[in-house]
Amino acid sequence: MHRTAASLSFAAIAGLGLVSACGTSTGTSSSSGGAGLAGCHGTITVATDLPLTGGDATDGPFPQMAAALAVEQANTAKTLGGCTLKYVSKDDSSVLKNGHDPAQGAQNITALASDPSVVGVVGPFNSSVALAEIPKATANHLALISPSNTNPCLTAVVAVCSDPTIKIDTASLYQGPHTYFRVIASDVQQGEILAFIASHELMKTKAYVIDDQEAYGRGLALLFAKYFAADGGTVVTQTSLPGSTTTFATQMSDAQSKGADIIFFGGTTGNGCGLVRRDMGAAGLTIPLLGGDGCQDTKFITDANSGANTSEAEGAQATSAPDVTKLSSSAKLFTDYAARYASLPAPYNDGTKEPYTAYGYDAMNILIQAIKAVITNNGNQPPSDSMAFRDAVVAQLHNTSYDGALGHTGFDSNGDTTNTGFTLYKVVSGAWTGVHTYAVDTSGNVSVKS
Amino acid sequence: MSEESGPVGGEQSGAVATASPQARALLVSPEGLVPRPRDVGGARRLVPTLRLLYRQASANFAALLLVAIALAVVAVFHNGGLTLMGQQIRNALVLGAIYALVAIGYTMVYGIIELINFAHGDVFTLSGFYAIIFADRLHLDQLSTKGFGGLILALAILFVMSMIAAGLTGMAIERVAYRRLRDAPRLAPLITAIGVSFLIEGFMLVFFGPDNVATHKATWITGQAFSLGGISVGWKDIFVVGMALLLMFGLGAFVRTTRLGKAMRSTAQDRAAALLCGININRTISVTFFIGSALAAAAAIIYSINYGDLKWNLGFRLGIIAFTAAVLGGIGNIVGAGIGGFLIGIIYVFGGSLAGGEWSEALIFAVLVLILTFKPVGLFGVDVASRA
Repeated sequence: MHRTAASLSFAAIAGLGLVSACGTSTGTSSSSGGAGLAGCHGTITVATDLPLTGGDATDGPFPQMAAALAVEQANTAKTLGGCTLKYVSKDDSSVLKNGHDPAQGAQNITALASDPSVVGVVGPFNSSVALAEIPKATANHLALISPSNTNPCLTAVVAVCSDPTIKIDTASLYQGPHTYFRVIASDVQQGEILAFIASHELMKTKAYVIDDQEAYGRGLALLFAKYFAADGGTVVTQTSLPGSTTTFATQMSDAQSKGADIIFFGGTTGNGCGLVRRDMGAAGLTIPLLGGDGCQDTKFITDANSGANTSEAEGAQATSAPDVTKLSSSAKLFTDYAARYASLPAPYNDGTKEPYTAYGYDAMNILIQAIKAVITNNGNQPPSDSMAFRDAVVAQLHNTSYDGALGHTGFDSNGDTTNTGFTLYKVVSGAWTGVHTYAVDTSGNVSVKS
Repeated sequence: MSEESGPVGGEQSGAVATASPQARALLVSPEGLVPRPRDVGGARRLVPTLRLLYRQASANFAALLLVAIALAVVAVFHNGGLTLMGQQIRNALVLGAIYALVAIGYTMVYGIIELINFAHGDVFTLSGFYAIIFADRLHLDQLSTKGFGGLILALAILFVMSMIAAGLTGMAIERVAYRRLRDAPRLAPLITAIGVSFLIEGFMLVFFGPDNVATHKATWITGQAFSLGGISVGWKDIFVVGMALLLMFGLGAFVRTTRLGKAMRSTAQDRAAALLCGININRTISVTFFIGSALAAAAAIIYSINYGDLKWNLGFRLGIIAFTAAVLGGIGNIVGAGIGGFLIGIIYVFGGSLAGGEWSEALIFAVLVLILTFKPVGLFGVDVASRA
């Protein structure tokens, strides 16, 4: 009797000791690497899929390097405790397209999805690539967070999605659960804001609209046209030109003849935004050029100034993701970025030179935070089943509430960010300078935020 | 007599099933084997009618094309008045001048060795890059700003050096890639040409980068020459068209008067006979490539002065369009290539103005298909059959 009781109590005490020794301490600290996560074992792979070469070489590397920095910082700070993050960078550009290539992007996602240790991807940069990647990602339950896709049809059905030249069937993109998110507001808002700028700020009434025949550019141009007409303006011409067009002289003469007082270009610089500006100068057009975030980069200025008038770029305007460099929340990112990439040639050593740096950074950090939450809820171990892990990460992403370089980000049920707004930039003295930041509410009323 | 296709073997079953009773009677009876066009059903009349239409279209292709172009010009006039029409004509001539110079290179090479030199468009782009290097190394950009004399000197140096460099490149390509295949089946040099095209494009991509490269030449010739009722014609436009015409007439004179020109013409006409006459075929062909590539270099400099930047893949599309111009004018015919270039420029600009920019290239290639269908020899071409 005594021995049994004694051995029982001994066993109990020993058991308690064992439990406290190998059990995890429940939610000790919210800072990175709670004592329990230290017991985490394994390598979790995260990736980026962005255009790094070709005509997009001035766009993709910034968010890519910011995302890589986020992974490095997470590993240094042991955010996942004993688990480490492995980072893989994929390039979705091809020589054939001289830049982003949807086929290459789809290939990259398929390759990443077939690797069971990959639980999330930050990318793609271009909406046209997203069209090819979302089906592959959703079919494999793989989280895909874009830092820059603004085509609205990627997450929800809007009127322009049935336009014959866009023809995006949103439903058919989702071959599985909804695993696509974006940390940037969509083109519906960008179009509303652009139309507001053209009609109320610049007071223009006759717009000549050109697009580059790609999903992003065409979508933005159509949305601009729709909201500009709703604001009382007239679209005198709506025309599409392929991205390989080298001269817009015909269109400039037409614009002059039709008495257009503003030219809108929906598309990327790689597809001719700067060349339009150059040809405006050649034709002697002094009316404003307005573009979307695809035009708002350094290459636009170089292209626009390559004609007879070497300061033709002056005065061109484009909206883009809000000037993150002005936010106090982003200061630390840019300091860290500059320190980490100081050895690179300009402009790559300065994160403020491209608008999507902070978007890539926050997208990756949001992914890492979701992974951490999954691990913590799974007894501080990564789930052994790859599919279950991915599903859990996606579920966590839907509940995101993150404060980072962009401010506060959350996702709605469609995967769109709750952090909306666009900044208008103008070329002043050879560089893009922020003018105002605009926000638009759900009923389409645009207001100046700052 | 045998214009109509009589009922023959395999066609009978389907034809019998759908033909009228009269036709069926003719088809199944032995007498029906002799075609009797008068009494057959409507379907049988279609083929001869189409053939007649085809013949008419072929014979009058040039006229039809000119009428279509005239209609387009009138339509643009209707849309935007004299100003728009005049501006678009100016745009068309500038574009057409560049296409014309590049098209001549295609046509000369085809005329002499019957090869479509797909690498020609890329030689155009490459010579544009040569011009950038020369202008940079010899400080020609600064020279061009030193008064009219400085400008002329800078242009002269640039043209001469780039044209020589491009000419040598063209000769080298012929020597290395095409000479051995001169008597090979036609497909072999064609594929080689595509290979050379990729090679040059890759080279330019590696050395000059994937983006637009600024040529710094758009500032060389600036300013308005005159203005006619809203149509502003710049010195640049005059230079482009004037230079192109000068080079084309110069080439024409060369081909007509010099011995080398005569050798080129005779080699193009009949290589064996030219050889028998004592003409050095290899040298003649090399000279042809030299001249064609030199003209492409001139076109590239004109392009740089007019537009301001180059890209590694510019030559591909421009080359195909210039090739269409050469075919339109009659491949092998230098005058035809020149005129074809300007016509293509007009189609590109006016088509774009009327139907929208997205249709410009589609219209050009539609014209290519129409030409090859109705008049493959081109507007100024001589029917090959009659030459033999």
